[in-house]
Amino acid sequence: MTRSNGKKNINLTLKVWRQVGSDVKGRLETYQANNISTDMSFLEMLDVVNEELIINHRDPIAFDHDCREGICGMCGAVVNGRAHGPEKGTTLCQLHMRHFSDRDTVIIEPWRSRAFKIIKDLVVDRSALDAIIQAGGYISVSAGGTPDANVIPVPQEAAEKAMDAAACIGCGACIAACPNASAMLFVGAKVSHLALLPQGAPEAARRVLKMVQKMDDCGFGNCTNERECEAVCPKEISITNIARLNREYIKAGFL
Amino acid sequence: MNWLLDIIESSIGKKLLMALTGLGFCVFLFGHLAGNLTIYGGKDAFNSYAEHLHSLGPILTVAEIGLLIFAMVHILSGIFLFWGNLKARPQRYVMKKSAGGRTIGSRTMPYTGFLVLLFVIFHLMNFHFVDKTNTTIFQIVQNAFSDPIYVGIYIAAMLVVGIHVSHGFWSAFQTLGANHPKYMPLIKGLSICFSLIVGMGFGFLPIYFLFML
Amino acid sequence: MQLDSKVPGGPLSEKWDKHLFDLKLVNPANKRKFEIIVVGTGLAGGSASATLAELGYNVKTFCIQDSPRRAHSIAAQGGINAAKNYSNDGDSVWRLFYDTVKGGDYRSREANVYRLAQVSNNIIDQCVAQGVPFAREYGGLLANRSFGGAQVSRTFYARGQTGQQLLIGAYSALSRQIAVGKVKLFTRRDMLDLVLVNGKARGIVTRNLVNGNIETHAADAVVLATGGYGNTFYLSTNAMASNVSAAYSAYKKGAFFANPCYTQIHPTCIPVHGTYQSKLTLMSESLRNDGRVWVPRNPGDKRHPGQIPESERDYYLENKYPSFGNLVPRDVASRNAKLQCDQGKGVGETGLAVYLDFKDAIQRDGKDVIAKKYGNLFQMYEKITADNPYETPMMIYPAVHYTMGGLWVDYNLMSTIPGLFVLGEANFSDHGANRLGASALMQGLADGYFIIPYTIGGYLAGTKLEKVSTDDAGFKATAEDVKTRIQKLLSIGGKRTVDDFHRQLGNIMWEYCGMARTAKGLTKAKNLITELRAEFWENVLVSGSGDQFNQSLEKAGRVADFIEFGKLMVLDALARKESCGGHFNEDYQTEENEAKRDDESFCHVAAWEYAGEENEPNFHKEALHFENVTLTQRSYK
Ligand SMILES: Cc1cc2nc3c(=O)[nH]c(=O)nc-3n(C[C@H](O)[C@H](O)[C@H](O)COP(=O)(O)OP(=O)(O)OC[C@H]3O[C@@H](n4cnc5c(N)ncnc54)[C@H](O)[C@@H]3O)c2cc1C
Ligand code: HEM
Ligand code: SF4
Ligand code: FES
Repeated sequence: MTRSNGKKNINLTLKVWRQVGSDVKGRLETYQANNISTDMSFLEMLDVVNEELIINHRDPIAFDHDCREGICGMCGAVVNGRAHGPEKGTTLCQLHMRHFSDRDTVIIEPWRSRAFKIIKDLVVDRSALDAIIQAGGYISVSAGGTPDANVIPVPQEAAEKAMDAAACIGCGACIAACPNASAMLFVGAKVSHLALLPQGAPEAARRVLKMVQKMDDCGFGNCTNERECEAVCPKEISITNIARLNREYIKAGFL
Repeated sequence: MNWLLDIIESSIGKKLLMALTGLGFCVFLFGHLAGNLTIYGGKDAFNSYAEHLHSLGPILTVAEIGLLIFAMVHILSGIFLFWGNLKARPQRYVMKKSAGGRTIGSRTMPYTGFLVLLFVIFHLMNFHFVDKTNTTIFQIVQNAFSDPIYVGIYIAAMLVVGIHVSHGFWSAFQTLGANHPKYMPLIKGLSICFSLIVGMGFGFLPIYFLFML
Repeated sequence: MQLDSKVPGGPLSEKWDKHLFDLKLVNPANKRKFEIIVVGTGLAGGSASATLAELGYNVKTFCIQDSPRRAHSIAAQGGINAAKNYSNDGDSVWRLFYDTVKGGDYRSREANVYRLAQVSNNIIDQCVAQGVPFAREYGGLLANRSFGGAQVSRTFYARGQTGQQLLIGAYSALSRQIAVGKVKLFTRRDMLDLVLVNGKARGIVTRNLVNGNIETHAADAVVLATGGYGNTFYLSTNAMASNVSAAYSAYKKGAFFANPCYTQIHPTCIPVHGTYQSKLTLMSESLRNDGRVWVPRNPGDKRHPGQIPESERDYYLENKYPSFGNLVPRDVASRNAKLQCDQGKGVGETGLAVYLDFKDAIQRDGKDVIAKKYGNLFQMYEKITADNPYETPMMIYPAVHYTMGGLWVDYNLMSTIPGLFVLGEANFSDHGANRLGASALMQGLADGYFIIPYTIGGYLAGTKLEKVSTDDAGFKATAEDVKTRIQKLLSIGGKRTVDDFHRQLGNIMWEYCGMARTAKGLTKAKNLITELRAEFWENVLVSGSGDQFNQSLEKAGRVADFIEFGKLMVLDALARKESCGGHFNEDYQTEENEAKRDDESFCHVAAWEYAGEENEPNFHKEALHFENVTLTQRSYK
């Protein structure tokens, strides 16, 4: 599991995508990350590099992050060709440096997709994901006037499956990793979460049609079942959710 | 019919077309293979199968037109999908590695598909659009397969079809929404079996002709 | 200024109903004529924005992150309380109210807490209707667990991701309102100042974090739901962008800050590894249901835990608190961990950790049962530490987690600035000196779904609001102030990075204003912070410029505020000459090292009024009256 072989501190060469703005050309630049403790997280390693850049009056590397515990979905970069790096089921902020070896070269790139414009360096604009939710990723109930929570029993299995899907943190790694930059895993997860619950049933048809239409309008690619998405998803969301999305779409479209 | 257009134009709609026509081809391949196996029964068995087929007359024509439409749909939606996917990532990664999802089949779908198309044209020119007045289909086939180059092309083509179908088969089920932890392993197994059967079933025929007859 | 809590008269259980009736209503057709600004999209801000829009108001909603769904509420793990009594174990609105008041060490407002308990049930109904996938029993009904030492099972949960699921619920309601155009969403915006017109809150100044533009927004009322200030300590379980700046700017504009010294230190967090550490990770409190806390009996015992025999282990919580054992409230558990480490019995490389051992639980219930309950937590722990908790005991240490203090609000959740409402962790209202587990989520959603929608109506209907526009002088002047400050930060060009200052502030706060405080330490901290502030404004190095995406600048502004605010915390801690809940002053403790309250002199809310940069703030007191519970010494023995 750990590659650093018990070594406490390692030195790395980083090649980081630097791009000042969305309509400017970017390129990889090389930095040294020296004396990196293997207990650090990947983002803490970047912090260390940035501190040095700032002190030397150079522009620090911009990257998104917030919770640093794998739940907010803010962080993410393609590390050595893998979205969120080499560890399975792990966000970038939860990736630790013990998974790297001394003198490794690490290539760090932003999520790439037509739907995600680069804002700066590793920071991309993922508002397309919000736009998809706005198109129908909700149950139309207003506050107040809802029945007692135990009025509708939900089979435990359905609730568990809904929870599996609802665990999506909206990070966008599935799209970054997909050879087609398709957003089907994200949309599949959201549609599944609501379609599996009786509360979501009344709007199921409308929801799936609207969300898929929005997804297409945003410029994401088409799913060809490459399964790269589920392989990189930090919440290990399964492509059975994509199948369910397809099913819901067929139901909504033809029935 | 607007609703239908809306659906078909969507990414999932195009995939559905792909899946339905693709599965249609699979059924066709299966039938085609079953028929061709009569070759092992000898010249007469094969010729009589061909005659039977042709005696179906208008039904056969309808089936042929159907196949043609299927082909058009499969190819056109394939092109649209491929094009859409190219556009979806204008800037490529400097370094991109598979995280373990992709297979040879899935990686190469558009390319194997295109090769299959070339082959089908070649195949039809060889065996379909030929003058059959003074000869039997068996002879035509035998003629063709006496040439090692032809044999090579056919075997290679069958490999390509096998690869295409190895992903296409299970993928079509997934696209149609038929994925369940209980029976997906079965579909995946079938997918491999089917591609092996198709690849080997068709692939051995030319060898049979070359060496056995 | 006399603080008026506006708590309505009458019996406790009828106050809220009566108040609802007394509040003026805004005519439905008129609602769309009002603009409301909501800053924050966590549980409080998200639910408030959605609900206000549902009622017909025009809402503008702001958040720092790129999506409202990423607000820090998403990180809450354990669960949310409600008085449903689904478990039939004798729970009731009254009991939830009582537990919360007692848990808060009798430093919260009775009427607010009772209202919170009352609406807690509506919250669960609301969330289930939205599709929040709470855990369920085989029969399909909702499951409950006991949490944070409660004697009843009243906590609803969605695996270890309750906050995430609740937030997705609020976010989806918000998204629905964005889609119909009732909410206008502004992401990647930092609120940097509040705009007052004729003494009322009428707008905000924000910085667009993408292009650096300084923007002004006007409205009829402003709602702050900007979360807690735990990051004053640099290391905390809060998200990196959690800040005090929004609340602090309101404080500087006249909103009183209440009880800033009340900080909750959570007992079960992953210990600090090194100076590079950027944040601390919480391990859900539910672990204490099965894990046993211990340290070696002999100070300095550095043996591997497996080699320390049973007789040389000290299960100090079980020994000291036989009836609650490992389940004592957070403040008690945290303080005792520190006590052990202070005696040199701490474990791990730094000696700042205690063991949380699952060996007995695994032996009793089997590994599968434990894995089913805590599997994801164990996995998370292993990811971070590379230790396997099934085999070696976890190491844990307390960390700053939640801040009970916040902007002072009345019963309507309005601050001392008319038209400025404060919700969620950003206000001070419901948790007193210590918050019980699973009650912050409840409070955030109560504020947003079921309280502000009515109370803000009362304000709007009963107040004369003159027309304002962002072209008015007040807006321009405030925007100028903001720009000047940014320019100043950028122009210092010193030698130390922002993080460096923040780390130093954190050390001061943790050392002197953390788990155990003394008058001497606090006085020292006050001076240290004054020095730090002076150095910051002379020696900080902020890279880049103001008109671009610039995270170094974002942080600089926040840390500048944290430093000033840290001093306010220290002042408040100094002034509160007693121990209560999260504020433990070593000078005031019982013989058994328990917090010793002084109800005679300190049964009040301390509300601080800004009095200018160079002056100490003015102190105001809101006396707390307990008519329905008797004040007792908390005992968990
Ligand atoms: C790790 C962890 C676990 C927890 N577990 C539990 C639990 O199990 N049960 C429980 O009840 N409580 C729990 N809590 C506490 C609870 O999660 C929080 O108190 C609560 O979610 C706060 O919600 P909020 O809406 O007030 O603020 P937040 O969710 O913090 O939201 C703040 C919002 O304000 C915005 N904002 C902040 N500053 C600005 C600014 N200057 N300009 C613009 N926007 C701004 C942010 O972008 C964000 O949208 C936990 C807390 C932590 C840290
Ligand atoms: C014998 C002939 C063929 C068979 C049996 C066949 C079968 C299939 C099947 C079953 C699929 C899967 C559909 C899905 O994933 O939902 C598929 C996909 C595809 N086919 Fe074919 N196909 C054949 C010929 C062709 C030809 C001639 C082309 C192109 C010129 C082609 C191009 C593609 C492409 C691009 C895909 C899409 C890949 C994807 O979406 O996964 N195929 N095919
Ligand atoms: S499906 Fe997985 S990879 Fe995709 S956005 Fe959700 S959590 Fe991220
Ligand atoms: S920073 Fe929140 S998931 Fe990584």
